Amino acid sequence: MPNDASRDTLAERRWIVALAEGDPSALGGLYELYGERIFRYAYRMLGNRADAEDATAETFLRVLRRSAELRADGAFRTWIFRIARNLCIDKLRQHKLMELPPDAQYPGNEDRSTLRVTVQQALDALPPEYREPLILCDLEEMGAREAAELLKISVPALKSRLYRGRRALRDKLGTHFERTYGQRLPS
Amino acid sequence: MDNDYHRKLVDLYAGRELPSEIEAEMEIAAHGDAELAVDMASLRQTVDTLRSEGSPFTEESYQRILTKLLIRGAAFEARTPDPAHLQYQLPIQG
Repeated sequence: MPNDASRDTLAERRWIVALAEGDPSALGGLYELYGERIFRYAYRMLGNRADAEDATAETFLRVLRRSAELRADGAFRTWIFRIARNLCIDKLRQHKLMELPPDAQYPGNEDRSTLRVTVQQALDALPPEYREPLILCDLEEMGAREAAELLKISVPALKSRLYRGRRALRDKLGTHFERTYGQRLPS
Repeated sequence: MDNDYHRKLVDLYAGRELPSEIEAEMEIAAHGDAELAVDMASLRQTVDTLRSEGSPFTEESYQRILTKLLIRGAAFEARTPDPAHLQYQLPIQG
């Protein structure tokens, strides 16, 4: 894992060290810190709550199994997201084989839920090379360098995919925006 | 300045990556170019929509994931997060 000590918080480093030294209860601390973020990422990738919960649990189990490899060197976040990403890619392959429908609805504010479902459906319809940068950079607010590192591409390639992904998403949301702006979007 | 230059900056404008003076210049240019204006506004709204998305994470999901972890062999109790002042390195004083 590359060295960037500025990323980890003090609490995170303490839990990483404890887990690496064989204290399995430290996983609880890491789950508190990262559980929601990993779930959100998996949910956006998979569009399915049950699979996202499963992928999140499996991500933390893999962290536990590979705890001897852990180093508090600042790269934990990229590492755990990479584990989650690999699991999501496996699940997406299974979906493709089994043609499972996405489940984009979840409880929440009713006014926002329609837009959320629309956004999730539009994300689901994007090719993965565009969807991933959008999820990481715009939804998870990850920096371009870290997202590029996670996806194993250069920063310019990441930005190019991000910008194209935003345009593709805008086009998927076209009906919504054309209603708002009262004219066709530029092609 | 012609609008080809401004069209090349629309992606940066949408992501709020431009300095404020160039952003203001873009907005002035958009007044005379409806297509540029729609491109700027719709793309920025796309980004803003994504960034303002609420979290789909619920207490039920939190508990179900926790249960899966415990069933599959993880041995821990859920903890409350450390207080914020312990999560950041503070400068040494004195």
